Amino acid sequence: MALPVQERWDLVDIIARKTVAAGAYRQNLGDVLGDLTVRPLTGIPVAFAVLYAFWSIFSSFAGALVTDGFMVKVFDSHWLPWLQGAWSDPASIHYFLFVGDPLAENCFEAFGMLTSGLFVAIGVVLPAIIIFYLMMTVLEDSGYLPRLAVLMDTVFHRIGLHGYAIVPVILGLGCNTPAVTATRVLETRKQRFIMMTLLAIFIPCGAQLGVMLEVIPDAVGWVMLFLLIGFGIFGFILDRIIPGSNPEILIDVPPYHWPLWENVTKKLMNRTKSFLKDAVPFVLFGVLVVNVLYLAGIIGALADLFEPLFVTWFGVPKETVGPLVAAFLRKDLAVAQLSAIAMTPYQMITAVVLVSIYFPCVATFVVMLREGWKELAAAVAVLVATVFIYGGLIHAVGILMGVA
Amino acid sequence: MNRNSSMFTLYTGLLGLVTLAFGLADILVWAGASPGFSIGILEIAGGDFFRWAWGGAILVFGGLFMLGSLRGRGTMEQFGKIVLGAAMIWIIAGTDIFARLCESIPAGEEAPEFFNSVAGFVGGFAPPYSPAILLLPFTLGIVYFLFNGRFDEI
Repeated sequence: MALPVQERWDLVDIIARKTVAAGAYRQNLGDVLGDLTVRPLTGIPVAFAVLYAFWSIFSSFAGALVTDGFMVKVFDSHWLPWLQGAWSDPASIHYFLFVGDPLAENCFEAFGMLTSGLFVAIGVVLPAIIIFYLMMTVLEDSGYLPRLAVLMDTVFHRIGLHGYAIVPVILGLGCNTPAVTATRVLETRKQRFIMMTLLAIFIPCGAQLGVMLEVIPDAVGWVMLFLLIGFGIFGFILDRIIPGSNPEILIDVPPYHWPLWENVTKKLMNRTKSFLKDAVPFVLFGVLVVNVLYLAGIIGALADLFEPLFVTWFGVPKETVGPLVAAFLRKDLAVAQLSAIAMTPYQMITAVVLVSIYFPCVATFVVMLREGWKELAAAVAVLVATVFIYGGLIHAVGILMGVA
Repeated sequence: MNRNSSMFTLYTGLLGLVTLAFGLADILVWAGASPGFSIGILEIAGGDFFRWAWGGAILVFGGLFMLGSLRGRGTMEQFGKIVLGAAMIWIIAGTDIFARLCESIPAGEEAPEFFNSVAGFVGGFAPPYSPAILLLPFTLGIVYFLFNGRFDEI
């Protein structure tokens, strides 16, 4: 038998009195800091400081300590000479495929599957991925990430998204593959499409950042600036031309707390394992495929075909066609290849931006396909237009500045 | 206002002013006002945008947070701003020290061995220091109040 409404409420009161203890709320320092970090006036400088710490720790650990400190020595002074000595017949095809250039003095220039391929995957990208995911997990588990989402909400609304779009963006700076899946935190198809497209075009992955840091450390800031500007401009345009709604969201902001190290370790292990499983085979396979394409003369033919576009419109040498083909397999690999081509600093910046905004890597491509082939086809159409327009625009800026 | 409170206000004000001045100096040296200078154990190199312009701006905000906390009565929010200001110094100094640590562990590209000698490692932490590292010991007062939970006394 159902109780009348009044009796039901009385029963609720009785249960609540017996089970809920209400004390006086006393604001603590954690609450105050939590509050200060979501207010724009204090929160934005804190966000800048957190980003500074993020990038500084990333470059010190991945760049100065692991890659420059140890990996370069292991690969260039021990692994490469040993391979070059042990592998017979430097003029053979298998030498070219697996060891690469017999005269190379370092693994970046050799471009064999077991030299550049292994060095990029293990020596450069792995340390970058480990430190990136460690810091990302600490920010996530300490409660800072939801605050960043609140802070960024107004900015993201300008491009049709909301604050939680910061999650796929930050994930994308590690690897675009999980980032595409994370676009599901957004409510509408329009928002998911905008985010997926912007991720594929303007967010360089951790692997690419690691290689950029290694081969063009002085130009990383400029490349990131061009990508950030493009992210804003093309996000704004996409928001205006794509039909659909941009709903508001309510974000639950947890209090600050120390991350549990068991959780941090577990997340770090899972994410790193996933990287090793998904990305390392692509890097090794990528070097092999590019070398086969070089041997078959396909890269040379493509370079001749696209020469007018690359030289006249983008202002980069025609040799950059090869790295662009490799970029479909792995963008980090492509940046490593670019470093071996003679270019002016501005051409290098343009070429690296082109590699970033050009087609998503094959792993991201597959995940995007899983989200829907129509979305993928539309994203590719936007991408082609963006590469053409933005690549030409960067060249034009260079001409105006007198540096192109 | 008790004696503790006045002392803490004076301490915060001075630390805020010095932090602000150091932050501005970092930015000005980067902008080319000076080719970079070293006085005693203090050094502002100023070449790198990321370290000196961006890092300097963070110190400027740190100083402003501390100075901003001086307005009004000593509330929890005022102390929160002081802690945020100090956190800005800890971030810059912490990353500077971490960078030195990362550079000091390996032996260097030319050396045949992998690890640095003990003397080489310790030498990596020798002066001169950046302004943020020099400010670090002066934030200990805030750490004391923070970990003793005595901010309601100030």
